[in-house]
Amino acid sequence: MLSTIALDTQVLRQGLCTGCGACQGLCPYWGSVDGRTVCFFDCERSDGRCQRFCPRMPTDLGALQKRFFAEETILPEIGPFRGLYLTRAADPDIRARAQHGGSMTALVELALKEGFLDAAVLTRSQGGLDPEGVLATTPEEVRACSGSSFQVPPTLAALNRALKEDQFHSIGVVGTPCKTLAVYKMKANPLPENDNHAGNIGMVFGLFCGWGLDWDGLRDLTKRHADPAKISHMDIPPSKYHSLDLREEGKTVSVNLDEVTPLVRSGCRYCVDMTAEFADLSIGGARSASGWDVDKGWNQIIVRSEKGEALLELARKQGVLEFKDAMEGGLEKLRKASFGKKRTAVQNLRELTEGGLGYLSPNRELLENL
Amino acid sequence: MTGGVPGQVCLMQGNEAIVRGAVEAGIHFAASYPGSPSSQVLGMLGKIARERGFYAEWSTNEVCALQACTGASLAGGRALCVVKQNGLLCVADALHCAAQAGVKGGLVIVSSDDPSAHSSTNEFDSRWQAVSAGIPLLEPTTMQETKDMIPYAFELSEKVGQVVLVRVTTRVCHGRGNVVLGPLPEKLRPLERVKEWDRMVCVCYMHAPALEKLEESRKCFEDCSYNRYQGPETPEKLIIAGGTGGLYGQEALRRLGKDRETGFLTLGTLWPLPEAYIGKYLRFAKEVLILEEVDPFLEQAVQALAGREGLQVKFLGRGNALPAVGELDPDVVTGAIAQLTGAVAPEKKATSELELPVREMSFCAGCPHRATFYLLKRAIRQEKYPGVVVGDIGCYFMAGQSAGQYAWQTCNCMGSGVNVAEGLGQLTNYGLDQKVVTMCGDSTFFHTILPGLVNATYHNANMLLIVLDNSATAMTGFQPHPGTGLTAMGDHVKPMDIPKILDAVGCNVEVADPFDVVEAEKTLRRLLDEPGMNVLIMRQPCATLMAKERSKKPVRVYVDQDVCLGDGCGCDKYCSRVWGCPGNTWDFKKNKALIDPVTCVGCGVCAKLCPSGAIKVDRGEEA
Repeated sequence: MLSTIALDTQVLRQGLCTGCGACQGLCPYWGSVDGRTVCFFDCERSDGRCQRFCPRMPTDLGALQKRFFAEETILPEIGPFRGLYLTRAADPDIRARAQHGGSMTALVELALKEGFLDAAVLTRSQGGLDPEGVLATTPEEVRACSGSSFQVPPTLAALNRALKEDQFHSIGVVGTPCKTLAVYKMKANPLPENDNHAGNIGMVFGLFCGWGLDWDGLRDLTKRHADPAKISHMDIPPSKYHSLDLREEGKTVSVNLDEVTPLVRSGCRYCVDMTAEFADLSIGGARSASGWDVDKGWNQIIVRSEKGEALLELARKQGVLEFKDAMEGGLEKLRKASFGKKRTAVQNLRELTEGGLGYLSPNRELLENL
Repeated sequence: MTGGVPGQVCLMQGNEAIVRGAVEAGIHFAASYPGSPSSQVLGMLGKIARERGFYAEWSTNEVCALQACTGASLAGGRALCVVKQNGLLCVADALHCAAQAGVKGGLVIVSSDDPSAHSSTNEFDSRWQAVSAGIPLLEPTTMQETKDMIPYAFELSEKVGQVVLVRVTTRVCHGRGNVVLGPLPEKLRPLERVKEWDRMVCVCYMHAPALEKLEESRKCFEDCSYNRYQGPETPEKLIIAGGTGGLYGQEALRRLGKDRETGFLTLGTLWPLPEAYIGKYLRFAKEVLILEEVDPFLEQAVQALAGREGLQVKFLGRGNALPAVGELDPDVVTGAIAQLTGAVAPEKKATSELELPVREMSFCAGCPHRATFYLLKRAIRQEKYPGVVVGDIGCYFMAGQSAGQYAWQTCNCMGSGVNVAEGLGQLTNYGLDQKVVTMCGDSTFFHTILPGLVNATYHNANMLLIVLDNSATAMTGFQPHPGTGLTAMGDHVKPMDIPKILDAVGCNVEVADPFDVVEAEKTLRRLLDEPGMNVLIMRQPCATLMAKERSKKPVRVYVDQDVCLGDGCGCDKYCSRVWGCPGNTWDFKKNKALIDPVTCVGCGVCAKLCPSGAIKVDRGEEA
């Protein structure tokens, strides 16, 4: 099947597209507008990087994981696991801008300074609206990307462009689970005739993710409750609050979550990954069993690779991160939550594909107990 | 066209024969809107008008042309109106009114049909309009007849006081043949002052007199040298041919060796039918084959005649012996005559058996329309719900094919785009959640867009009209239009300013250069988001006009094949396959892109689009 038509029929029209941008920045055929992946013209190649990189084209996730991670570390619910930590950035300036504890910003800045990376592809959240993918080469540029957005920009288009230019040779990537999966598909060099300099991909940093929101929908919702230009931060507190909090000039505006859930991107309903299992380090907000306020302002970090372990160790040594004793039962809670996302996604996929598993079909055995 | 001596034999194209015929007829007035295959006629008339003392104009549309001709007729002038089949349909109301009113000076309409629609969107048959309006209809077969029929048509028009329609087809317009010249009038007949009680008026009580004029015409046709018969006196098998069917039939009869035993009746006067003349041969016939272009016009008329006379005749024609659609050719006519006569059809074809490669029509190299439709497709696909695009008639009709990235979903007749889009645009207030776009050329803008523009603006339709301003009536050969500042007779006049007109109408207007792809796309996308009636003028001269300019200062565009990705992932022949300019070709040996320096006109747009930057533009000294 023609590349563009394959993605159109198997991913876009099925409502599976995550908007990650893995198909973009490679050629003149794919682009993105307001988080929507757009095919400008049809490509007539029978195969191409767009469909090979797409995280929603069929992938044997088990085989991909074993290729890049030690098999004995892989936990069925949350993927490769070498340890769970509670951390936050030591620098109060980072913490002030951060979504939760600023650990991601601190670690990527450190990785750049210490030569783990020579550039990093990040998402500049711009307060949560109209985010964009950027290539950062200095700690200052990294810091400008603090904070999250629930709109999903095609950040990987920036990675593809940076790889194509071949100017940087160890490019870090920060992304949601769909994006980091795509990055590992890129690292697997799937198209022999053109690897797009995939060897230039450095460390991968995953962000925990429940779902992203429809771009236009979130913009309209924000407009209904606040002045979009004045929003500096958006967050979703633990489920008992049932709200999306907008920070408008220091004040918090709470929006009932019932207004938000209809805006969840269709593609997120079919995602089996909460903790960004394809990454060196995965980072999310801390969710303590003893309540939101206890660990508010802290991150939980899953270490998945030796490289990740080394960077975290360096951060501890240099005092870039502050560590707190991991909460009791935290890992179990995480495994349970992650398992829940997998089960829901598989159910949704079965509904969509009339009993099939869609893009997850190569993982039939792995998913049978869900 | 104005030289030669009577009796001299000249090789002439059919369109030239029409011009010569008009000059021999001593016309006072000629008006036309360009349309293939008869576009050249008025152009030639314009060039000789001064010398011969008549007036010629490229009218803004066919209605203007025909109605101006009726004005000339009222003053006793001989007026020639030249249109193509669609143009004749365009003037249907004016024609029917003129036919009831009658004429003073001769009024002849030449309507050129395009069987198989070589340079048209359809193959309508003009002849039905003669029946509908109730006017005499002639159709020539040879170049000589084409020339002779024009003065004959004027004489008939003045004799019966009626408009006369002369139908020609592509092969007659563009074919060549010997023509014996007739004398030119030394002086044009003087015009007559319109008297106080002169009347040329279309009212119901003129219907009966109009029918009488038709009967009078029929009497003239019963004994007319344009109707000829060859063959046995009492033919059992009879062929009746009109137009090019006559020549195809003559050739096929000889090829099959059946010319002595088969009756062959060629008609030059098709309506009203010379019934008595036809009846002389029809009453002996057991089988009749009708040869004519496009519709079974003669076929139905002769069938009706046979029915009225109670004759038992089997008819062959369109839909049984001949294909129901498409142009006649020597082979299909030979096949039909073989069927009629029982002869064995020859195996060897009369036409060449060399198969030509199938090619879609496309925009010329460097055509600004290619850039506009490339940008439009990109813009439309960036919309949340891809928009609906309405086409119109001009070169940009080809935008419906690969040349324009399959731009539009619907296209009606010339000038329809703005109206179809208005309908859709109104429905965007009633739940249709799509952007609506249409387009027109600068000549079409004046032709029939203006009323629609007023309608859409007045009713505040949510839509975008793209005016493809290439400063030319390019499709038919660069005839002047009101935006050009030129007239058919070569006068320089004040050109109409499209942006000023749009401003006066009150729509939101912006101008962009389609070759500035980045900015033009931004402007296009911005206008798509604007409510109400928006107009984007895409301004860039026609490539054919610019080719002459650029040849003075050649620009070299070439491919650096070391950088070119060819058909690899990341490109897939973006220049030659997607952009699709005829100048962007393919080096099959190296599997890389190539630019054909002969075809390329140096617009340089492909260099802006190449994903690898492999296309270079060398502007010589300018660089």
